[in-house]
Amino acid sequence: MKILRDIEACYGCKICELVCSFHHKGAFSPELSSIKVSRNHQTGEVTWCIDSSCDSCEGEARPLCVAHCTYGVLKGVK
Amino acid sequence: MKIDRISGGLAGKILRVDLSSKKVSAEDTEKYAKRFIGGRAIDSFILLNEMNPKTKWSDPENMLIFGAGCLVGTPSPGACRMSVDTKNAFNNGKGSANCGGDFAAELKYAGFDHIVITGKAETPVYLCIRDSEVEIRDASSIWGKTTYETEEAIQKELVDNSIEVASIGPAGENLVRGASVVIDCSKIAGGSGVGCVMGSKKLKAIAVRGHGAIRVAQPERFMNAVNEAMKKIQASPYFKLSRKALVEVAYQPDSKVWDTQTLIRNGQDEYWPMEKRERLTGKKTGVPKYIKGVTACISCPIGCMPYCEINEGKYRGTKGIGYWINSALYSQKFDVDNAAASLKFHLLANQLGLDGDFTSVVSSWAFECYEKGLLTKEDTDGLELEWGNEDAMLKLEEKLAYRDGIGDFLADGVVAASRKLGKGSEYFALHMKGQDTFEFFRILKGWALGVATSPVGGRHLRGAVYTPELTGPKNLDFSLTGYENQVEAVFWQLRAKEIEDLTGTCVNMGSFFGVHALEPPDYAELISSAMGIELTEEELMLIARRAYNLEKAFNTIHAGFDRKDDYPPRRFMEEPIKSGPYAGYICEKDKFDRMLDEFYEINGWDKKTGLQTGKGLLELDLEYVAKKLEKVGKLK
Repeated sequence: MKILRDIEACYGCKICELVCSFHHKGAFSPELSSIKVSRNHQTGEVTWCIDSSCDSCEGEARPLCVAHCTYGVLKGVK
Repeated sequence: MKIDRISGGLAGKILRVDLSSKKVSAEDTEKYAKRFIGGRAIDSFILLNEMNPKTKWSDPENMLIFGAGCLVGTPSPGACRMSVDTKNAFNNGKGSANCGGDFAAELKYAGFDHIVITGKAETPVYLCIRDSEVEIRDASSIWGKTTYETEEAIQKELVDNSIEVASIGPAGENLVRGASVVIDCSKIAGGSGVGCVMGSKKLKAIAVRGHGAIRVAQPERFMNAVNEAMKKIQASPYFKLSRKALVEVAYQPDSKVWDTQTLIRNGQDEYWPMEKRERLTGKKTGVPKYIKGVTACISCPIGCMPYCEINEGKYRGTKGIGYWINSALYSQKFDVDNAAASLKFHLLANQLGLDGDFTSVVSSWAFECYEKGLLTKEDTDGLELEWGNEDAMLKLEEKLAYRDGIGDFLADGVVAASRKLGKGSEYFALHMKGQDTFEFFRILKGWALGVATSPVGGRHLRGAVYTPELTGPKNLDFSLTGYENQVEAVFWQLRAKEIEDLTGTCVNMGSFFGVHALEPPDYAELISSAMGIELTEEELMLIARRAYNLEKAFNTIHAGFDRKDDYPPRRFMEEPIKSGPYAGYICEKDKFDRMLDEFYEINGWDKKTGLQTGKGLLELDLEYVAKKLEKVGKLK
């Protein structure tokens, strides 16, 4: 499964980053996440990237980042 | 209720930094959290226990404490807040301010729940925390810079363009009383002069970067609680509206809020005609037309912080992130309805490190002095402080931050300025407990009671309620203008806000406007599963009550506040609203007195003096607080 995103719709809340680390390590940490979100404090510009450690939340019904995105930014596509 | 062990939620350590001796140490958070869970409540506990009442806000011994809530760093909705607590720069009582952003979470990833700063540096410094590595670094090259420039300079120096920064601007450096601490260039811990205290310590900024993790005690249960909380938030009728930066929840020109929460010309009136509202906040003509996007703080499912940009007229080039509602509230006071000027005023305050509430109050007081001929052009460095003069409003703002001329005259707030000027200007110097207040007291009864009794001097996030749809408990019938049930609503609101602040959750999730979704039982479940303790709603409400009783005691011991300090400014009790649907409304002293009586009673405080009682504190298991009060003869 691939995680697709609509970056224009992203507010940069980083919830995806935190639930991702929870899936991998059972803890909340940007450092342990496959996803990296950053938000420019002066312009609001959001950057979002995902690295190869993403396993599409193997074992979960849906990728946690997709399930927890309240902004409708993320989609899981097979 | 006794908490034996805490096994999650916290980062684990409290960092202590003494800027005089340059000593840095750390201690475990747990022993504090067992009593007060986290965030502001722990800050309050440390301040009450460790501060000498003789210490003044500007003394090196004053403590400046940053406290992240116990849920911060997790995806618990809205858990992003940082509480900044110290001696209040206006009155030496409890000082407290609070803001969002990502700084608090980053601090926890670095391993710390709180930072306790004492002492005073000889030359400007900033604190750099990179996990367990803590340095006090030279800030002489960034002293004088705005908060935007400061963040950029520190990120460049540390070669880390996303290290989190909390800083003061020129206002804090120049010891302007209403100076703020600014996080992420846009999240403002504004009240109590917390930035002024930081400036007095010559501490320009704190930078933090963490690579650690926050673990919770019962992961599955916690994630279920998070999911349930998210569902409640998303089910709120205000969910999508709040996401538009509260544009549609409040402050559209025809909104009820405009009729009830407007203070014109330094409180001379509380009504603004429709055409002015339209110009200031209408979607096509007002501030919303400059909104280019909206951003969220970490862990926030709503997102209410707009990025604004002005690409026209004389304010072309003005841009930044800011809570634009505030700009509307500020510029009303000057009768300025130009949206661009209003936005400029707000974003400039963030850059200069000025609290917008303070700035708008002390400046509009000066405008009224000018109107009444008590200040002339000779006193104002040539500025014509006439209502509606946006140029004067903006120039005065800069002068205030730099203590330049008339700005220096105003920089200690309306109490000090009106004392110097005299001539009856004290009457319209709007303050509570010595701190400039920008609040409304004539129409809204619960709001007036909450603000007037706030432990941090006339601010609205400590008990003020609006309507049950947007604030306060949902199962209680209270209205905007009626007196019925207001005391109970404020009593609930105080405890709910305390819970939000000890968890580090934004009020927009629960008690105050926003989605008005999360309630104490939700927090009890989130805290219990995160920390591995079992708390009921009742127990959590009791801890909350204890926590604000610490602040009350601090105010009694350190500032001598009692019942006389819980009354609104005279103007609101003597001068009715002149126009609009609420013309004739006033804060009626006899009825306000009855609310105060009931409020003290429900809190277990003495009705006559407003002071805490031995019996009341014993019921809260706060015997040690009673002893402190007894020692200074202030226990009833």
